[in-house]
Amino acid sequence: MAITEAHAGRRYSPIDPYEVSAAKIAEFATALDDDNPRYRGESAIAPPTFAALIASPAWNQIFGDPELELSVERIVHGDQRFTFMRPLRAGDVVVATASIDRVRVRGGAELISATVDITGRDAEPICTAQATFSHARQAVT
Amino acid sequence: MMATVVEGLEVGTQLPPMKIRFTRERLVRYAGASTDFNPIHYSEYYAARMGLPGVIAHGMLTMGTALRVVTNWVGDPSRVISYAVRFTRPVVVPDDTDGVEVNFSGSVSAIDGSLVTVSLEAISDGQRVLGAARAEVDLGVRVPHRDHENAP
Repeated sequence: MAITEAHAGRRYSPIDPYEVSAAKIAEFATALDDDNPRYRGESAIAPPTFAALIASPAWNQIFGDPELELSVERIVHGDQRFTFMRPLRAGDVVVATASIDRVRVRGGAELISATVDITGRDAEPICTAQATFSHARQAVT
Repeated sequence: MMATVVEGLEVGTQLPPMKIRFTRERLVRYAGASTDFNPIHYSEYYAARMGLPGVIAHGMLTMGTALRVVTNWVGDPSRVISYAVRFTRPVVVPDDTDGVEVNFSGSVSAIDGSLVTVSLEAISDGQRVLGAARAEVDLGVRVPHRDHENAP
């Protein structure tokens, strides 16, 4: 069976812990051509959208869920919201946990709203990433 | 630092805009940094197979770059407490030296105590590529009510 509205509420197990490094923060900031000094050095904080890098394996759990029968190459990122309780910092060890909030079927596409909670030690909430993905049921061409 | 940001701030205040060029090199860098290796961001073949007019920038690259308007202005990126966008249109990046220019701008759309909402625009080839792009920033100090101060 494919993804349906009934998959709303499905929660995935947390991904393996991810250790935020100063080197990865600097690489990410450089990729954004951003020379903000807060993104450099041992006590760097991460650019806010670095959260997507941590969320992405959690999104991939959804995309790769065999029960949903999704084709990852037919998924388009529709919208994205981040809520930050605090910035990610070099040295943080975080986990990301995905859940499906809502599924809507629109014509030949499924709109999947998902939340990824990024937490630190002792389940400290750090960031929430809410996204909507559009999945084309049939190939475009 | 924050005093200079707060001074004269009101709804409608424009933040310094940025003209940025996205080239294929930038897409490769962003793919590696973000670990998003979707081939539509580097391969004409896969982009065409998905019905796209060419290789397109990662939506998250556009989103992340747009936020620089806010973080350049506020200085301290940890002031950003929320950020949301819709990806309305793909940014096609040609395989040449110049790439494509994207114009980013922002203006203050709401002030509530120390919380300031900035509405962002990203325009490429005359088209908006982000929709409903808003970042909320906590300046940590209350923004004075100019309306009251200026009242006759």
